[in-house]
Amino acid sequence: MIAVKNTLTAGMLLAVVAASAQAPAIQFEKYQLPNGLKVILHQDKSAPVVCVSVLYHVGSKNEDTSRTGFAHFFEHLLFEGSKYMKRGDFDKYITNAGGENNANTSQDRTFYYDLLPSNQLDLGLWMESERLMHAEITDAGVETQRQVVKEEKRQRVDNQPYGTLVENIFKRAFQQHPYKWVPIGSMEHLEAAKLEEFVAFYKRYYVPNNAVLSIAGDFDIPSTKKKIEQFFGPIPRGAEVPRPNIQEPPMAGEVRDVIEDNIQLPAVVQAYRGPAQGTDEYYAFNVLSTLLSGGESSRMNKALVDQKEQAVAAGAFPFFLEDAGLFINFAITNMGVKPADVEQTIDSLIADVQTNLISEREFEKIRNQVESNFVRQNASVAGIAESLANYEVYFGDANLINTEIEKYRKVTREDLRNVARKYLVKNNRVVLYYVPKGQAGSAKP
Amino acid sequence: MKHIFYSAALLLATLAGTAQDIDRSKAPKPGPAPVINIADPASFVLPNGLKVFVVTNKKLPQVSATLTIDRDPIFEGEKAGLISMAGSLMRRGTTKMDKSTLDEAVDFLGGDLSTSSSSVSASSLKKSFPKLMELMADVALRPAFDSRELETVRKQTLSGLAQAKDDPNAIADNVSNMLMYGKAHPYGEIETEKSVQKVTVADIKKYHQTYWKPNIAYLILVGDITVEEARSMATRHFGSWAKGVVPAGKYNAVAAPAKTYVAVVDRPSSVQSVISINAPVQLKPGAPDAIPTSVMANVLGGGFSSRLNQNLREKYGFTYGAGGGVSPDKLVGSFSASASVRNEKTDSAVGQFLYEFKRIRNEVASDSEVTALKNYMSGGFARSLENPATVAAFALNVARYQLPKDYYRTYLTKLAAVKSADVKAMAAKYVPANNLIITIVGNAREIAKGLDKYGEVKYFDIEGNPMAAPVVKEVSADVTPEAVLRKALAAYGGEGAIAAIKDASLTGTMNLMGQNFIYVQQHVLPDGYFSAIKMGEMAMMTQKKAGGEYSASMQGAPLPIEGDAKANLDAKAMLYEERYYLSTPGYQFELQGIEAVEGKDAYKMKITSPGGSTSTSFFDVATGLRVKDMREQELGPMGKVVMTTTFKEYKAFNGVQIPVKVNIDAGPLKQDIDITDVKINTGLKKEDLK
Repeated sequence: MIAVKNTLTAGMLLAVVAASAQAPAIQFEKYQLPNGLKVILHQDKSAPVVCVSVLYHVGSKNEDTSRTGFAHFFEHLLFEGSKYMKRGDFDKYITNAGGENNANTSQDRTFYYDLLPSNQLDLGLWMESERLMHAEITDAGVETQRQVVKEEKRQRVDNQPYGTLVENIFKRAFQQHPYKWVPIGSMEHLEAAKLEEFVAFYKRYYVPNNAVLSIAGDFDIPSTKKKIEQFFGPIPRGAEVPRPNIQEPPMAGEVRDVIEDNIQLPAVVQAYRGPAQGTDEYYAFNVLSTLLSGGESSRMNKALVDQKEQAVAAGAFPFFLEDAGLFINFAITNMGVKPADVEQTIDSLIADVQTNLISEREFEKIRNQVESNFVRQNASVAGIAESLANYEVYFGDANLINTEIEKYRKVTREDLRNVARKYLVKNNRVVLYYVPKGQAGSAKP
Repeated sequence: MKHIFYSAALLLATLAGTAQDIDRSKAPKPGPAPVINIADPASFVLPNGLKVFVVTNKKLPQVSATLTIDRDPIFEGEKAGLISMAGSLMRRGTTKMDKSTLDEAVDFLGGDLSTSSSSVSASSLKKSFPKLMELMADVALRPAFDSRELETVRKQTLSGLAQAKDDPNAIADNVSNMLMYGKAHPYGEIETEKSVQKVTVADIKKYHQTYWKPNIAYLILVGDITVEEARSMATRHFGSWAKGVVPAGKYNAVAAPAKTYVAVVDRPSSVQSVISINAPVQLKPGAPDAIPTSVMANVLGGGFSSRLNQNLREKYGFTYGAGGGVSPDKLVGSFSASASVRNEKTDSAVGQFLYEFKRIRNEVASDSEVTALKNYMSGGFARSLENPATVAAFALNVARYQLPKDYYRTYLTKLAAVKSADVKAMAAKYVPANNLIITIVGNAREIAKGLDKYGEVKYFDIEGNPMAAPVVKEVSADVTPEAVLRKALAAYGGEGAIAAIKDASLTGTMNLMGQNFIYVQQHVLPDGYFSAIKMGEMAMMTQKKAGGEYSASMQGAPLPIEGDAKANLDAKAMLYEERYYLSTPGYQFELQGIEAVEGKDAYKMKITSPGGSTSTSFFDVATGLRVKDMREQELGPMGKVVMTTTFKEYKAFNGVQIPVKVNIDAGPLKQDIDITDVKINTGLKKEDLK
């Protein structure tokens, strides 16, 4: 009797706590211009800052197999100038206005943003509309950016310890789908591409019907709508944007390899194929990664780094994309520790999750961490603008910025065990050992 | 139908109308400057003197708290390093929880908790915050100060110091601070291995007991928390914290040098000079001059488009980046400017720094230059306000520095009011003309020439102790290079003892930037040689000569060996290179003077091989032993580096001296070799070399 009562109280308490943790909803307005441009506006007048961002639904998966690297290349090329902006003006205007800008490219989309003092909203709208309407694609610009992208690849991939990791995982985990290459792409392809190919890519993907204009911060909604109409309205709608529809068959079996790199300490990587983002299982995987590597007390950190001292760093990374996902376990070995021993420890951690339900207490800990991270992603207007655009493009529902936490809350302890049993199996994974140059022979994968 | 037509027409009209409204060919003008609302945080004081600020911001259901100890700077003396070690140790356990229990507790709350020497910070969702605050209070008031955890902190501190010793930027910071503020000032003292070794748990406890008092502390709470919640939490967790008298730090006023001088720290392996130009200035935070001075400092040296960077980087290409500025401080402020420049441009670069200082003092900057910088600064200020912690930081500054209450509310107005003439006036006040300390860390012999036109040139070691200029002493006329080489051979044990050596196997450890490897070196005289750096059983790098066969590998991949690299191995095979030099026709030697190596006079000899490659060796004048080699080497992507090998200690085996402690410095790569085992005449054959 008492037990029942206690359970009830605990349940009620949980409900109260959950309610009290509810972040105030992020209000936004969403509409579409006749040319197909989606617009999302979130007003927040608490600081005199505005973020003007445009997300283009084009990433490396839209590329031709013989022209990889195009989507990311555009992220550079489209800072070169426009009909009304000289080369270098993008940065100059932003700096002189006291703002900040940048861009990034994934397998699925390309994102540009300008963070400005609120009285410079018009500048942001003008620059982003120029980027979409009037980009100047010239031989000189293409050549300059080829060099810059090559430097970027040297600095961030080739010259970075373990920098080729993502590339090496994806090309083994996918055989058919364009996820088999990564956004940085092939320098040979970029070198071989002709100017008209770049122009054609711009015309195909940089069209209003493939973009979301997401603005967050301190601005007046009616007058901003009018300005959006003025700056973006005259841009003509483009042709229907082609989307790849390639089904990747299940893996034929475990793939193992040894990669030599300019490193001192070997690393172990396991990448398991998983479902696309947004599925129920995707949320379970995200919670699972927190169990394995969220914080100092997480299972991988505790076992590999603190107790056995087999690794100097370890983590689990959910790498989920629009069409498919990967769940990646990664550890850098300690001096003198064999990669195989580290892998064995990781395997035993996975086996534990597959066999035993995790305790209520630990489950509560990771739910708290997940919730905390969810709330914190909305700390800045730039973060909000990007999340709204991502949710809209990926799931057609910008309001997930408010409701997605429910999907995490629905994940049960059993769900964690189930995804571990279903996906974290030998035949569904790529295992790579990263070893110092010259040592491939001695490291048995 | 009609309805649709009407709408379409309306739409067309709107579009037509809008097309005229904007002119796309020009950047739109900014709107009126936004009104910045910076509300004063709520504040109250607990009976024990703890001052609490609360910035309520309910945008997100999270709260963060920072407890700051506002003590005077502390002079640590022979235990320099104590305070920062105390800060690290606080996060490693409380009297109630060891480190791993504490980690678990923080993660359970989905929170973060961090410490420094004078602060503790925590943040989490609102619902977990009361519990996190409890942990925070334990960390701040009841740290464990466990002795085993202290050893972990000490190890980390020492490895940081070891790295700093070789880092020219860290050397420049240490030495220029010491010269500017003096050794007896908290801003001028230097942490050393010795001082860090002296720190005990008792010292750290005493620091905590003495300075962590509520009456000099601020507790700042930001986020989804009301003043009443804050009051009750602060009272519960910090209310019984006993106040106490905290010693004030009184330090002598710091004066700028009467005349500009140049302080050179000789670093022979440098291929770049770190130039750091400094002077103490009297400017307190929030003083009326502070804002106009920050505009001036940005014109001179803030960011990519500043004058210093445009001049030294864009115009002359001396450096990858140059900058500078003025930092206000309660005790004593500072003016500083710095850049890393190529050796041969050191003199010219100093000249350009001084030129820019003079220009900003004497010429009025253009309005457009000043306006662009003001826009940049006001934009940055506006963006910083997005983070509610900024508002709290403003409140803390107002309290700590006794600023007017509206100081930050009126910041943009004051910034906008700065005129070009003010920039010039501030430069005249805070950019010293004749009272600078120009600290240069670099290769003295290559860079010193010409520096005396800027002021007296003085020399210092890496801890800021004055030392004599590295002079090139004359070698007396009767000393020949051959005699120096023979004297070295005699010092190693003499021809007889050396001739008796048939083979030698040296084993030891090699430490490369904190990582340990096994080092092996074998000689089968006169023409067998092998050396290897191994990680466990895996060879990272090998070099080998067996008779006429040469080979080398890097991480398993063969490396080519040609020309002089072969001669190099030939020389090494003979155990003492001097024997090879003297017996091989075509070597040329030149005695270049006497220089100090680790404080002892040594002959400096340039050695040119028959193939034309050069190296420099140093021989101890007194003992005759070779103490140092320098050779320029191509090091892959790092380009050319001077590789300096220092033979720090010799030990006798079978009547011959073998170097057992060797340090190799190749710019960013530093290696220490410790030979732990030497076996001589074990019957090793050339076939056995591996």
